[in-house]
Formats: sequence, C-alpha cells, structure tokens
Amino acid sequence: MWRRTGIDRSAILFAALVVVSLVLMTVDLRASGGGLAGTLREGTQTVFTPVQKAVSFVTRPVVGFFEGISDLVGLRGENRRLRQQVAQLEQELAATESLQRQVEELEAIMGIEPPESLDAVAARVLATGVSDFDAIRLIDKGRRHGITVDMPVVEEGGLVGRVVSVTDTSARIRLITDPTMRVAVRVDRTGETGVLTGRGGGLLSLEMLNTDASLIEGDLLITADGRFPAGIPVARVAEGAEAEVGFSLRTTAIPEAELTRVDYVKVLVFTSEQAGSADLEEGSPIGTEMIPIP
Amino acid sequence: MAVALALLGVALQTTLFVRFRPFDATPALALLVVLALARHLGRVESVVLGFGTGLLLDLLSETALGLWALVATTVAFVTVRLRHRFEDDVTLLIPGIFLVSFGALALYGLLGTIFGEQTLADAQVVRKMLLPAVYNTVLAAVVLPPVTKLVGERGRSQTSWGGL
Repeated sequence: MWRRTGIDRSAILFAALVVVSLVLMTVDLRASGGGLAGTLREGTQTVFTPVQKAVSFVTRPVVGFFEGISDLVGLRGENRRLRQQVAQLEQELAATESLQRQVEELEAIMGIEPPESLDAVAARVLATGVSDFDAIRLIDKGRRHGITVDMPVVEEGGLVGRVVSVTDTSARIRLITDPTMRVAVRVDRTGETGVLTGRGGGLLSLEMLNTDASLIEGDLLITADGRFPAGIPVARVAEGAEAEVGFSLRTTAIPEAELTRVDYVKVLVFTSEQAGSADLEEGSPIGTEMIPIP
Repeated sequence: MAVALALLGVALQTTLFVRFRPFDATPALALLVVLALARHLGRVESVVLGFGTGLLLDLLSETALGLWALVATTVAFVTVRLRHRFEDDVTLLIPGIFLVSFGALALYGLLGTIFGEQTLADAQVVRKMLLPAVYNTVLAAVVLPPVTKLVGERGRSQTSWGGL
C-alpha cells in the first residue's frame, strides 16, 4: 500500500527527474555523444580513473584469489594441453625461422621493401562497463601515450575491439561483441568476405557476402576492414554452413580473443589512412611482440 | 557517508569484475547500493542520490546520458515507496531485491532500445537481466548490513529532508 503524506514532494521530484533524464537522453542522442555530454564524460572519466585505479589495486588480489579457486578445476587438463601445444609450436617455430630467412634473402634479391610492422601501446584493462549490456573496457593508457579514437585493440588471440573515447590517461574500448560493432572479415581458407556482427557476448553473427561460399567449422576469419590492419584473426566459424538457393549465408563465430577475461591488450597505432600501406602478413596475428608491463 | 558509499558502489561495479565474471555476468552492484541506501535515507534525499548515482554511471559509460539516471532514480523511488513493507515483513526483502533489480534492468533494456542502444537486439538479453538480479539478491547479505550500520537510523534522523 502507498503511504500518503499530503503533498508528496518525493513523487514530484521523481517526476521532475524523469523528465530531466528524458531531456538529457534526447539532447545527448541529437549530439551523437559529443558536445557538452562528451566533455562531461571525458572530465568525469579523468577524475574517476584514479579512484578506479586505487580500488582495482586494492581488490585485485582478492579477486585473483577467487579466480584462482575457480581455475583449479580445469588446471590439470589445461596443463597437459599446453605442453602439447608448446611442443607443436617449437616445431613450427623452427620451420618458420627457416622460411623467414629464405623470404629475407628473396626480398634482398628482388629489392622489395618489407612492410613496416605497426607500433603498439601495451595497456592493462582497468575497468569494465557499468553493466553487462555495456561491452566496454577501460584501459590505463590514453592520449598521452599516443592513443586516439578508432585505433584497433588486440590481445594475443586476436582482435578485441576499437577505441571509442580517450582521455589523457585512459581510453575506452568497445568490444567486438557489442551489437553495434560490425567488422568486415575474410575467410582465411577461401578468401571469401563477410561481415561479423556482435550479439552482446559469446558468439558473433557472420553473414557472407557471396551466398555461394561454403563455411567449415573452425574456419579462421581475419580482418578485411579498412578500419583495421588486414590479417588480424577475429573469430573462428562455430558451425559450418552452406547457402540454400536464394538465401543469404549466415552462421555464428567464436571470437579468437578471450574477451571475458582480457587483462592486457595492445592498442595498434593505426588509422584507416594507413590501411593501404600497413597490411600485416597473413598468419602473423599481431605483428609486434607483446610488451610486458610490470 | 551516503555519497561516499554510492561512489564506492560505482567504483567496485566497474573494477571488481574485469576478470572474475561467473557465467559471464556481473552483479548490478551500484543499483544494489542505491537500493540499500534508499531503505534508510529521507525520501527526497534517496531520489536525488539515485539520480546522482545513475548520472555518474551514464558519464562512465557510452550509453545515452540520462539512461542510467532514470533507472537508478526509479530504483530509489520504488524502494522508498516500498521500504515500510520490507520492514514489516523481512521475508519480502529477498524477493523484493530480486524484483527491483530485475525490473531496473528490464527498464534499462526497454529504454536503451528506444534510445538507440540496441539493448533488446542483444542475444543474451534475458540472461543479462536475470543473472545480475540473482547476484544482487545473493550479495544483499553482504551489502545491506554494513549500509544499515553506516547510515541506518542516523541517515533518517540526521537528514534535513528526513521527514519528506
């Protein structure tokens, strides 16, 4: 039952604040996140980043403890799998080094200038979005470190997302799982192109441009988008698919980067103007080595 | 004290679950703190605090400014309206926290879609409303007692708007 107390000032205030909120939303939507709201966001993030850093510093060991407990379950199996992977990678590394030497020799003979590898800024993930609907991560590097809006962000596995806003000391990344994110990709095996769209988390949605193409489970999808360097692994096809006549070819894909537990990332110093000149080699996931952070 | 607790709620909400995300979901901790504070503060004060906390969430996210403000204000207002029932019957508190949390996230989903956030296009929309509400219900056992101890009766008696 509602309690009535003459003039209910809290109800009037509530109604007024609802109106204020709706006005704010409309104004912000019209300004497309820029204008006064953009300035306020940048200012708030600048002020709040030290608070988040302090809280993160204090809580990280506690969270790490709980994380460690939850990880214990699969630790033995993962250890065995990693040993096998190390042995396989050592073999592949030896073969790659030999091929690299041959390529360098051939490039010298032919007088070809090899493409320069991209600069990257290593950063630590400081905070998440304010809710599960917010596929956002905040990193501890910003404008001061050379990061600007729209730069691609990667981790060991592959593409994580892109920078959507930046302050002097921090930057916000929108993950590829966000429903507003679309990335043009190429199937590494066939060269066919398609578009990956975020679904809010977990799997991504893949729509191929050529409906006659076929997809096999495990097919690697790499960037073929002017906003990102070409050749960065993005996802693997989760379920094989073949188009029926007159229908589009759609399926789902699993992100290569471990987005739910991403801790360190690299921001590639890349703008879309560089797209033509800074293509990464196929099979070379990121191009530069991960820079360790103490 | 109430403002400090709300700030702490927002800071914990954004930093605690970077890597530890059971079932890839996190509690709506900031909303739970607003709810916990609104049980004790004055009516007007609670609504203002809800709005302020929501606005801070808006400024720390990429959503339309005012979206979280509206949701958190609603959480505070509903809690203020229903708190006497929680006090009369404590067994209503647990389902109450679940319903308020779930309702708040459902409101966010609806408004987010209207204001171009594509929230309902999210394939995991139900899970993202349900799991945080469940986590909030569980975490209430940890959050509510200290908030009651820190602002409790003092909050209601000392506020200049306490009787409103």
